[in-house]
Amino acid sequence: MSVPLNILFWVVVIPGTVILGLVACWIVRKVSALVQWRVGPPLCQPLYDIMKLMGKEILVPQDAQRTVFMAAPLVGLAGVLLLSMMLWRITVAQTAFIGDIIVAIYLMVLPSLALILGSSASGSPHAAIGTSREMKLVMGYELSLVLAFIVVIIKTGGQLDLATIAQQAPALSISGMLAFLVALLCVQAKLGFVPFDIAEAETEVAGGVLIEYSGALLAVWKVMHAVMLVALPLFLVTVFLGGFGTTGWSLVWGIGKYVLIVVLLILIKNTNPRVRIDQAMKFFWFYCGIALVAAIILATIGSYYGIGWL
Amino acid sequence: MSWKIWSLKKSPWVFHVNAGACNNCDIEIVNLLTPKFDVERLGIKLVGSPRHADALLVTGVGTRQAVPRLKEVYRQTAKPCVVFLVGACSCGTGIFHEGYHVEGPVDKIIREEDPNAIIAYVPGCPPKPEAMISGIVKALSAL
Amino acid sequence: MNQEELNNKLSEIKDKLIAVEQPADSRIYLTCEAENSYAVNKFLFEDVPLRFVIATGIDSDDCFEILYHYAYDETGCMVTLKAFIRDRENPAIESIAPFMPAAEWIEREIHDILGIEFKNHPDMRRLILADDWPEGIYPLRKDAKKPVKRPDGEVCSRPIVQSQSPARRTVELSKPVVAVGPFHPLQEEMEFFQLTVDGEIVTDIDMRISYNHRGIEKISESLQFDQVPFLVSRICGICSASHPLAYVQAVEDIAGVQPPERALYVRTIINELERIHSHVLWVGLAGHFIGYDTVFMWAWKYREPVLDLLEEITGNRNNYGNVKVGGCREDIPDELTPKILKELDKIEKKMEMLTKAVLDDPILHARLKGVGILTREAAVDYAVTGPTARGSDVGIDVRRDDPYAAYGALDWNVITQTEGDVFAKAVVRLLETFESIKIVRQALKNLPDGPVTTEVKEIPPGEAVGHAEAPRGETFHYVRSDGGNRPVRHKVRAPSYVNVPSFRASCIGQHIADVTITLAAVDPCYSCTERLAVVDQHKNVIHDYDTLLRLSREKTARIKKEMGAPELKMEDL
Repeated sequence: MSVPLNILFWVVVIPGTVILGLVACWIVRKVSALVQWRVGPPLCQPLYDIMKLMGKEILVPQDAQRTVFMAAPLVGLAGVLLLSMMLWRITVAQTAFIGDIIVAIYLMVLPSLALILGSSASGSPHAAIGTSREMKLVMGYELSLVLAFIVVIIKTGGQLDLATIAQQAPALSISGMLAFLVALLCVQAKLGFVPFDIAEAETEVAGGVLIEYSGALLAVWKVMHAVMLVALPLFLVTVFLGGFGTTGWSLVWGIGKYVLIVVLLILIKNTNPRVRIDQAMKFFWFYCGIALVAAIILATIGSYYGIGWL
Repeated sequence: MSWKIWSLKKSPWVFHVNAGACNNCDIEIVNLLTPKFDVERLGIKLVGSPRHADALLVTGVGTRQAVPRLKEVYRQTAKPCVVFLVGACSCGTGIFHEGYHVEGPVDKIIREEDPNAIIAYVPGCPPKPEAMISGIVKALSAL
Repeated sequence: MNQEELNNKLSEIKDKLIAVEQPADSRIYLTCEAENSYAVNKFLFEDVPLRFVIATGIDSDDCFEILYHYAYDETGCMVTLKAFIRDRENPAIESIAPFMPAAEWIEREIHDILGIEFKNHPDMRRLILADDWPEGIYPLRKDAKKPVKRPDGEVCSRPIVQSQSPARRTVELSKPVVAVGPFHPLQEEMEFFQLTVDGEIVTDIDMRISYNHRGIEKISESLQFDQVPFLVSRICGICSASHPLAYVQAVEDIAGVQPPERALYVRTIINELERIHSHVLWVGLAGHFIGYDTVFMWAWKYREPVLDLLEEITGNRNNYGNVKVGGCREDIPDELTPKILKELDKIEKKMEMLTKAVLDDPILHARLKGVGILTREAAVDYAVTGPTARGSDVGIDVRRDDPYAAYGALDWNVITQTEGDVFAKAVVRLLETFESIKIVRQALKNLPDGPVTTEVKEIPPGEAVGHAEAPRGETFHYVRSDGGNRPVRHKVRAPSYVNVPSFRASCIGQHIADVTITLAAVDPCYSCTERLAVVDQHKNVIHDYDTLLRLSREKTARIKKEMGAPELKMEDL
């Protein structure tokens, strides 16, 4: 990549990701409205919301742990932005190692962790309920997510480097497909979408968890959520579906893959009722667990004997 | 016009407070969400926490029992915020003016809490949903 | 038992009474001294038996009067027992709440507003006055003045007793209940519920009202007879046709006025349209509570044409202000009839689809059947009315039992269900919508010619009761006139006042996931469920309204999953 292009990349990547995320937010809201026979919000609505929140006063509750309360959203946002930057770097610029899959997994936990930190620091009993639910949920899906990535690592011959993994498409095999589906559901939970919007009411980013946040801090949460809408599907594309191209058809194909995942997420969101937290735990630990163990065994056999489609 | 006000107009999130009303205004407010009026197309959204709100839709006379809660909600709302008094009761206690349990009118109560509060009045008993939307739009364009 | 037998039965207790008056066949007034009231009430409630409607406390010049209103639904007879409390300094009377749970609230209320002591009342806490209301000021006493300032202000005529936290009775909290909130985007009324739960099971429920108390009965005494309908139509936005009607019927009874035939039909039409929009509104809300948000949106969409019709007839979407003493203010123009009929056809079709979708939906069956059962016995004890009673096999309906307006001349059915659960109440409401459509159609067809109002010269001294069937049940008004142009006492009892306390019978023993829908099932004058906190005896966790809503929705989802049923599709509606 040439130097000017490189500079352009760094200038564009963060605002670009945020804008893409806001558009994705709008799609989600618009589709729900159409189902309910309403017109729904205009395209720029999520942007207006963020701008408005930026101009508002920040109220910090008396009982809150002030520093943690203020820092938590920034930590979460930094996490997802870093993640998305890594992914863009790999997909668009395709440079050498700047982070491997382990780092990405860590970065993906950051938003939930920040949410738990922030809401428990707010000192509100309602946020506390949301916190405990979020915590249980994270414990539920995180194991499944890691197992799903282990399948990918086995499939790609022990690769940890994201750029190398992005060259292959592990989903084009039985074990890879299983892992991909489980990871998709984990992403659903990470995004706080139905059926896993247990800790966060759907109408607001979070009814319970974010009840005490206002103004710019709330805006940061909203931006974080928007960026997650870009970064997490993109991550799935990179890891499971062979990544993005930068030129011609491969770019179109890459966008197609991203849209496919977003559509899948919205479909799951709109056709499922909300589940209870114990149901979610059972689902992730038991059913997903079995599926993933099977996938790992298949993948191991496949890589040992060199059978690609297993 | 500063960008703060401009964006506030584009995305007013409202929180509904019933301070002792007859439900009429309240139902009409909920009606704003439903397909016929659908205020989400104007960026208006009912939110579940006063901290997220830019506008309070207050209905009702402000009864003695409700007044402390009303003040508490106003304190919890992030500023700048607009207080919309929806209906004759909250605008001036209306027909309940003489009631022994009535502490209103609501604008007086809000002013006790914050003398510089921005207050808009949407009279009517109950105001039609169209009137509420128009009231919100007018008050916002006057900012 | 017909009217004659009722009269004979009542004569059994004659020796405890001072007087028996019967101005009309269906109106009986008994008088007794305070000492005998307990025995007479017990006789009326348990031996006759009559349905308790409400009690009215009156500050007469020389004594206090407690009026116990009863209804005998088989003949539509209203029996009023008047008890005199002669001691003005320390007024006291035996409580009847121990054998009649329905009287618990009203005795607390009379204690609040008149300062009458009810001996042996099981739970004499403050009910309708604010926590910071000064002790010793009784607003409905004739000498009462409004306390001028708030307690944190300056002036207050009596010492102030700080809030005794009336809502917290059973459990000491380690954390306070959050005073404002939990709020929900659909929050409507301010009422506070506190559930005590053991694990998942509700063991006690307590309510705090007063947030919405505006002192209407007192205001009414300062208005002229003709102004009061505008006041009482603002008691509740959804019952804004039934309240004035009940009041006007009471005043017409005092004045001996018979409104013109056409006015009766117009009143019928407006009341039934109100019932349709109220029931549809409830269906939407119930959908929201169990997680069918799309049903909420669509039901409210179907409700709009009814409101448009009402606007066209009366000039307002709610608060019609159409009924007055001696008739109606506005006529229904004949040109409007075809339009109303056409709209009714459309609404009927939509409602048929909605009803079919609800009645055939296996998920709703599983979700609502057997939930929040109010047994027939409990329904009688709590003296509930309206769809709440009719869902529990108590087939009472003022429109049939004591026909008013034009209901006596029209052909329609009272819908009852035997199960008493939430599903039964939903069925009652849905089917009643069709009866209402039927009534409106007939009324329009038979609409007689002529004026809609007669002249009423003056209201003579006297007293009367009037009642009407609001969408939620019986609305009851008692009016007393001294011959002036204002009522000297006007007592209002809205249906939710007796329906809401029945939560104690229907919610205890329920899973908390079922509580919101059980509370919503009585349609507590819009939904009071919005202010609700759950106290866990073991963990002291306070669940907020959102949690309960979520639990309710999750249970729907769980049943749905167990049954492998598909999502309810909007095409089915």
